[in-house]
Amino acid sequence: MATDNTDPTAEYRKNQSWLFDSKAGGYLRKTAIDLLTLVIAVFVLFPLYWMIVTAFKTTAEIQQIPPTLFPTEFSLEGFRLVLESSLESSGYDSFVESTFGVDISSAINIDILGMILNSLKVAIGAGVIAVVLGTGASYVLSRREFRGKNVLMSLLLASLMFPGTAIMVPEWELISTLGLFNTHLALILIYGAMTSPFVVWLMKGFFDDFPDSIVEASRIDQCSSFETFWYVIVPMARNSLIASFIFAFLLAWNELVFALTLLDNQNYTVPPGLLTFVQGFNTQWNVVAAASIIISIPVLIGLAYIQQYFVQGLTGGAIKG
Amino acid sequence: MTHLELDGVTKIFGDPSKDGIVAVNDLDIDVPDGDFLVLLGPSGCGKTTTLRMIGGLEEPTEGEVRFDGTVVNDVKARNRDIAMVFQDFALYPHMTVRENLGFGLRREDNDMTDEEIDDRIVETAEMLEIEELLNNKPAQLSGGQKQRVALGRAIIREPRLFLFDEPLANLDAQLRKTMRTEIDELQSEVGITSAYVTHNQEEAMTIADKIAVLDAGELQQLGSPDQVFNEPANLFVAQFVGSPDMNLFDGTLSERPDAFRVEMDGSSFDIPKRLVDADITTDEVLVGFRPQDFYQTRRRALDGPEFDTQVRVVEPVGTEAVVHGDSAPGDLTAKVGGFHDLSSGETLSLTIAPEHVYLFDAQTEELLKGRLVAERADGQATADEVEA
Repeated sequence: MATDNTDPTAEYRKNQSWLFDSKAGGYLRKTAIDLLTLVIAVFVLFPLYWMIVTAFKTTAEIQQIPPTLFPTEFSLEGFRLVLESSLESSGYDSFVESTFGVDISSAINIDILGMILNSLKVAIGAGVIAVVLGTGASYVLSRREFRGKNVLMSLLLASLMFPGTAIMVPEWELISTLGLFNTHLALILIYGAMTSPFVVWLMKGFFDDFPDSIVEASRIDQCSSFETFWYVIVPMARNSLIASFIFAFLLAWNELVFALTLLDNQNYTVPPGLLTFVQGFNTQWNVVAAASIIISIPVLIGLAYIQQYFVQGLTGGAIKG
Repeated sequence: MTHLELDGVTKIFGDPSKDGIVAVNDLDIDVPDGDFLVLLGPSGCGKTTTLRMIGGLEEPTEGEVRFDGTVVNDVKARNRDIAMVFQDFALYPHMTVRENLGFGLRREDNDMTDEEIDDRIVETAEMLEIEELLNNKPAQLSGGQKQRVALGRAIIREPRLFLFDEPLANLDAQLRKTMRTEIDELQSEVGITSAYVTHNQEEAMTIADKIAVLDAGELQQLGSPDQVFNEPANLFVAQFVGSPDMNLFDGTLSERPDAFRVEMDGSSFDIPKRLVDADITTDEVLVGFRPQDFYQTRRRALDGPEFDTQVRVVEPVGTEAVVHGDSAPGDLTAKVGGFHDLSSGETLSLTIAPEHVYLFDAQTEELLKGRLVAERADGQATADEVEA
């Protein structure tokens, strides 16, 4: 079969393809993957980029056609207006004027700092409610057998798929019956209820994988049920709890429709607050973009700090002893 | 320091009146103070359930668990003052070794100060030679180290009872042997009554004061390792204990004036009546030979049967070899020395002393005659031991 001058390795080279077995093919594959990654990255990140460059453009440049990809004239006008309006509406303007000797006058009247505080209040409240209720419920759903358990789990899952706006009218009724119209508590309750089912599913995954023997070891180490929960399960569940909290927090932080409809102007959280910057033909897009950046910063810092737990919590595994 | 008793303990999972699964059936076990009990049996025989009932992690459906004569059926696990070592170690992953060891002491209702607890931790760690690991988390430890921490967590509390649930199953073979010895030493040192679950008969034989052999939730035999090996109550125990497995052949028994004659396919031999205690009424028997009890005929002449065996496989294990072959009554496994000139295809003549032959009733599978150790069989068997 083989002649004297055939390559002895030839029989290992049957069934080869140019794309997968040649160097050039390898480069082509790598390049294709890189390009695809690049396209996806641009697609995802461009809106973010556009927000940032818009914030640094002047009003004139924003309205220019064709638009510029990079600000020709670097301007902090947007940030100045946001800060000034914020100081003015929160009543610190005279203090800053007298202290730093700058003149503050703003055409817009929006309190960014107040909005951020409102949002934090609502988001943290919703996160705490979701984590506490969701964890308790998931612990029971995971550890105990009872009738209707599967129905309950399916209902919780179904509620996640239900569009929130569909139940808006009954929720308005409920909120006004409770006399909570135009309060942050109303939002806290609604967001907490919206995110709890997700927390139940996430934490149930964690508790299902939780080794029984560790619970038993703690019982034998003379722990009561509560001590087991508090000293053993909660510390081990830390990552999943953080992931649950972040999920609920982000939903509450980003939610627009309920906040817009249930609150008055002066109580606005961030999403409806940002919307007030958009004022028909007079919209100053650099101000909107600057405000968006400013309100993103606290969340970004927080998330950067705990994102490691978030990923571990979502993927589990990290907790296996 | 506890005298542990199980009295008619039964555990049924599910509805007892309908299709509940009987995990443990009417178990009576008595473990004197300071003894080391091993619960031995195949998977699903109820040994772990039994241990968990002793520990209070399961409640018996019927019967009583008693510590020093006090019924503890309704005492919760956390109040029983026991310590347990789990198969997967069950260390608290978020705590350091130091915290793991001290956790039980801190939760306990005692008057110990932090310094006292810390002293005890260091003392225990030194005993187990893990003092340099005290500040590590369990994830940083090797399997053997985790096992030591788990042991430390058990002994530090000085409990009434130690419970071990297959503690060595997750370790490699080498470590299993050393840890086995360590557990044995440790238990004799502290003298605390212990119950140990395993499916590994070798582990059970080496470590136990008493072995309880379980099958399908029922106690087959409770006895010393010696008894379980030499006088297995029935066929199940005989087959489960000992390695390699016992050779079993069908035989018929006929009574002679001073001996029982055993006829098997292709061979027959006499067992002197003085070697048999039981009243034998059946003539259908199962004849059992431990592979270790075979000798090569050319090296030693015995009164027992001879088997010309066609060697199939020789598995050397150090100074001896396990030989699998075909003989007249069937497949035969023997453990013999001087195997270097053996190879497959050859014929090997094997023999066994009548003292070492097991006889079981073919119907009831109960033991008729066990293996007699040299001291009890006078004369010829003693000569064996001398030559060995």
